[in-house]
Amino acid sequence: MFHVSFRYIFGIPPLILVLLPVASSDCDIEGQDGKEYESVLMISIDELLDSMKEIGSNCLNNESNFFKKHLCDDNKEGTFLYRAARKLKQFRKMNNSDDFDHHLSMVSQGTLKLLSCASKVKGRKSPPLSEAQPTKNLEENKSLKEQKKQNGLCFLKRLIQKIKTCWNKILRGTKEH
Amino acid sequence: MTILGTAFGMVFYLLQVVSGESGYAQNGDLEDAELDDYSFSCYSQLEVNGSHHSLTCAFDDPDINSTNLDLEICGALLEINCLNFSKLQEVYYIKTKKFLLIGNSEICVKLGEKSITCKKMNIVKIVKPEAPFNVSVIYREGANDFVVTFNTSHLQKKYVKNLMHDVAYRQEKDENNWMHVNLSGTKLTLLQRKLQDDAMYEIKVRSIPYSSDYFEGFWSEWSPSYHFRTPETKRAEMDPVLLTISISSFFSVALLVILACVLWKRRIKPIVWPSLPDHKKTLEQLCKKPRKNLNVSFNPESFLDCQIHKVDGIQSRDEMEGFLQESFPPQPEESEKQRLGGSVQGPNWSPEHTVITPETFRGESPLECPAGNGSACDATILPSPRSPENGKNGPHVYQGLLLSPGTTNNILPPPFPLQSGILTLTPVAQGQPILTSLGPSPEEAYVTMSSFYQNQ
Repeated sequence: MFHVSFRYIFGIPPLILVLLPVASSDCDIEGQDGKEYESVLMISIDELLDSMKEIGSNCLNNESNFFKKHLCDDNKEGTFLYRAARKLKQFRKMNNSDDFDHHLSMVSQGTLKLLSCASKVKGRKSPPLSEAQPTKNLEENKSLKEQKKQNGLCFLKRLIQKIKTCWNKILRGTKEH
Repeated sequence: MTILGTAFGMVFYLLQVVSGESGYAQNGDLEDAELDDYSFSCYSQLEVNGSHHSLTCAFDDPDINSTNLDLEICGALLEINCLNFSKLQEVYYIKTKKFLLIGNSEICVKLGEKSITCKKMNIVKIVKPEAPFNVSVIYREGANDFVVTFNTSHLQKKYVKNLMHDVAYRQEKDENNWMHVNLSGTKLTLLQRKLQDDAMYEIKVRSIPYSSDYFEGFWSEWSPSYHFRTPETKRAEMDPVLLTISISSFFSVALLVILACVLWKRRIKPIVWPSLPDHKKTLEQLCKKPRKNLNVSFNPESFLDCQIHKVDGIQSRDEMEGFLQESFPPQPEESEKQRLGGSVQGPNWSPEHTVITPETFRGESPLECPAGNGSACDATILPSPRSPENGKNGPHVYQGLLLSPGTTNNILPPPFPLQSGILTLTPVAQGQPILTSLGPSPEEAYVTMSSFYQNQ
């Protein structure tokens, strides 16, 4: 009897405490009424996707590891958006036009502005876009760079689409409630 | 004790003096005064130059010495923390793309490195749209209205797209009597009947962000005014064809009315409201016109006795017998004058009787009549055959009796055949007419011509 009560007192509550952060959202989302998203963010997202219309036909169908790891699951929308917005920042100043970079900044910083995430989420550093690979000669280097750029744009387009889908999911859920 | 009290008093006095020197004056707080002096207001204009936005601020107090004062905005910026304002005379402004448009910013008045006063503002809540332009008014004659159109640069913008417009118009002579119309589109219709005729009007437009939108702010500047004149009201110009038709129809109607009035008595009224024919005239029309010498008068005063001479024999006896069988016995009960001139009798006669019996036709036709009625007596009298209905011994009615031999009367039944022979007339006494009186039978009612006079 004493062992049973001991288990209940010292076993289950810690379990709850451990599991609670897993089940709860790490990030609070402001602007769930959709005004900021529809008036500001969606404009930049559409501008980016319009400028990347040609990209997609040459993209590989395999899902990036990032998307396998980070999903816009229920109660995880804020975390996903946080991760995606931070990833988006890495695509700035990659020989893009000023307008393109401007809209990238609008989407990433605007999203981050609306999120209030816990420090543990913020503390994780997103991996770099790619790792440098040793090249043998200049031509191979050049083609690799182009390939990397193409892969990067494919990933960027996919990322922006995922962000848009996740925002729509959040607003849909808000309207249903 | 005294020394203690004095010490305390001096301490309090010193405290008051010190606090006064530190700026805590009774006349007002210097710090508060400084804050009031440096109050400022700002407005933003999005996409004013391509994708660049502008933010304009100015101190509320125009007398403030802003020589060493700067303004700085921090927060809600892209990739940077703060931005400094540029200064143009007394106005501070920024033109940049780096507004995040999400969240609040802080604008501070800086004197060197020191912030004097700060204000939190949201760039999207202090938006001042650009003024509308190209205001024009077109008059539509068919619709009797004015179409007001204008343009705004916000139709091509991405962020501040939904605006509320205020159209103001007035008669130029009516100062400060502006009429306002709010609309969300760029087209307005003004009815002509709501404006004065032949008057000069002034019209202008301004805009403000839609209140229910994400962006809020202030009224824009007024657009340049447009002046227009309303047309004079003409009496509706009718189509010439329609005008001709209406005039001709009017005159036709007038002519009809005049003709109706003129011909009313003579032509129209007799048809519309026929009057009973005058019996005198009707009789004159029906009867034969007397001979020239015939002096016919229906004046009862001129009625005189007509001598009748009895006719004794008739040559054709067969016919006579037949006639006699049909005849009715004379009724000598009442003595009345018998007239050959016709069935018209004097006013003294009763209205029911007619007096000629077949017997009187025996003998010769010529009858002696008084001189006055000679022409009447020359006429032959054609009695109507006895009606089979009249089985009574009542007198017959002779109507339409004054006929010449040559006259045919369809109304009267054919008379008993006048003898080709001679009616012998045996005058009972010359100059003594036989007066047969035929009194009115109670069974039958006879209406004679004389009865008209009696009734009158």
